Amino acid sequence: MNRKDTYSTIRTEVLEVIDETPLIKTVSLKPETPLLFETGQFIQFTVYGEGEAPFTPSSSPLVKERFDVTVMKAGRVTERIHRLKPGDKIGVRGPLGKGYPLEDFYDKEVLILGGGVGLAPLRSLLLKLLSEKEKFSRVLLLYGARTPQDIIYKEQFSQWKKMGAEILRSVDKADETWKEKAGVVTTLFDGLKIHPEKGVAIVCGPPIMMKFGTIKLLELGYEPPQIYLSMEKNMSCGLGKCGHCALGKYFVCKDGPVFKYGDIKEIEDIWD
Amino acid sequence: MRKFISKGSFGAWIRELKETYKLYYPAPADKGWDWSVWEGKQNFFLEGYRPLLPVKYLFFSPEESLAAGEQEPAIVFGVRGCDLRALQLLKKIYLDAPEDVYFRKETLIFGADCTACHEHCFCTLLGDDPWPGEGFDLNFSPMEEGYLVESGSKKGEELLAGRFFTETREEHAGERDERRKEVKKILRKQNQNKVLNLQDLKKHIIEEKIVFRDYGSTCVSCSACTNICPGCFCFFLAEGKEQKVRYMDSCQLKGYHRVAGGANPRKDMTSRFKHRFQCKFYWRPEMQGYKGCTGCGRCITACQGKIDWKHVLIELKPANI
Repeated sequence: MNRKDTYSTIRTEVLEVIDETPLIKTVSLKPETPLLFETGQFIQFTVYGEGEAPFTPSSSPLVKERFDVTVMKAGRVTERIHRLKPGDKIGVRGPLGKGYPLEDFYDKEVLILGGGVGLAPLRSLLLKLLSEKEKFSRVLLLYGARTPQDIIYKEQFSQWKKMGAEILRSVDKADETWKEKAGVVTTLFDGLKIHPEKGVAIVCGPPIMMKFGTIKLLELGYEPPQIYLSMEKNMSCGLGKCGHCALGKYFVCKDGPVFKYGDIKEIEDIWD
Repeated sequence: MRKFISKGSFGAWIRELKETYKLYYPAPADKGWDWSVWEGKQNFFLEGYRPLLPVKYLFFSPEESLAAGEQEPAIVFGVRGCDLRALQLLKKIYLDAPEDVYFRKETLIFGADCTACHEHCFCTLLGDDPWPGEGFDLNFSPMEEGYLVESGSKKGEELLAGRFFTETREEHAGERDERRKEVKKILRKQNQNKVLNLQDLKKHIIEEKIVFRDYGSTCVSCSACTNICPGCFCFFLAEGKEQKVRYMDSCQLKGYHRVAGGANPRKDMTSRFKHRFQCKFYWRPEMQGYKGCTGCGRCITACQGKIDWKHVLIELKPANI
């Protein structure tokens, strides 16, 4: 067939597999042809003969020759991804969907609210923002995990601070080693001086965290169009054809995965 | 462009077409018509109403291996208005960039006016007509002595220039209109005393709770309604042994909406049942410009839970909110 196959994959080599937590691994990948993605766009990760699963690259879009995905073991395909070793060949389809509208963030106070493995796409965004820090008035990361052991990218927070990010972290269940905040991620707003009128907020995490995170942001004075959500649905084709990821009238894969809360707030059950 | 073809010339013409194209036609079957490939010998008429299966399965298969291959030149004869309107939505979904290369878009579409209707047909209740309006290469209106043929594309026009077609006579247009009016009358009669508030349907679908719960209570999630619907397009992309495989999927199945980790926004039947109405009358019209239901009534015939889709639509009115 001389026409390009709609669902063809780029053959990709696994370079490295990093253990983040007992359930989460970061897989470093080298595609045969560079994957030129915008931060926030996603890919379909194909384990040949097994299945596909969607992930947003967690690495900086400025690095062209390789990229990372951070994967939580949650089902059949992700279980198979966790068994990959350096040198294995997998497939990648993408980049798919729309990325974060970075120009909307220029000159603004950018607040990133992440929970658990939801930090994966946010790391890519954070690295992009920090690479052109002068374009934003402030970059804040508020991150929550269940326990100190569940925090991903443990060694990298100090580096991001050096690059100009303000970072606050919380864990739901602290232990004796934990010196930072204990409680759900929204407790990080207590006593925090922010300027919603001059800002945008970006949220990614488990649905329950996204819901209460958004409610908190609205209470703090953010307007619905200032809140950007990374929505997770059952994306299969990734091209707005198979129907699985319907979020009201939208297809998350094509119209998202990043949505302004203002555009989807009327849709029933968005947090389910 | 309009031309006329006599029944005798029609037979000669399709024999000629068969040399170049694979010809699909509505072949008489038990309780209706079924899509079949014309081998050159069977009787071939365009009278009747929509076949048992929607025409969509001639444009993609319910289960297909996504392997490279050229599209065989083909023509589908006898596509009815309802199937053709639904196909417009499917084309929008499959052919909008990036185009799905497996959708058989080169297949020529020869529509045909309905000359009768099935007991479950209700296109007129949706404000549609029992004949094709757009999206065909040629459309055939059955007449006493042949067919009045109208072109709807450049390719159709080229075909009409062939030697089998003659100029239309003055009385042809009148005969066609009369026949169309007759079928519409039959449809109106079988749907008499039924009113569909199309204008407020979207609003009612959003607000309604009781009707979906009541009618949805006998649904057994078999997915017959979505499989047989000419406007349902959902599929699941899976990994086969050597290449990707596409299976038709259904929003009425519990696993359809489930995400990794097990969360499922549509675990309960009522929400899945409602989802189908929202998709067809609210979301698709708003995003793709075509409604997903065209009143063919196949889902009513196929439903194992005896749910009458048409009655659900009729019941969606303010009194039940």
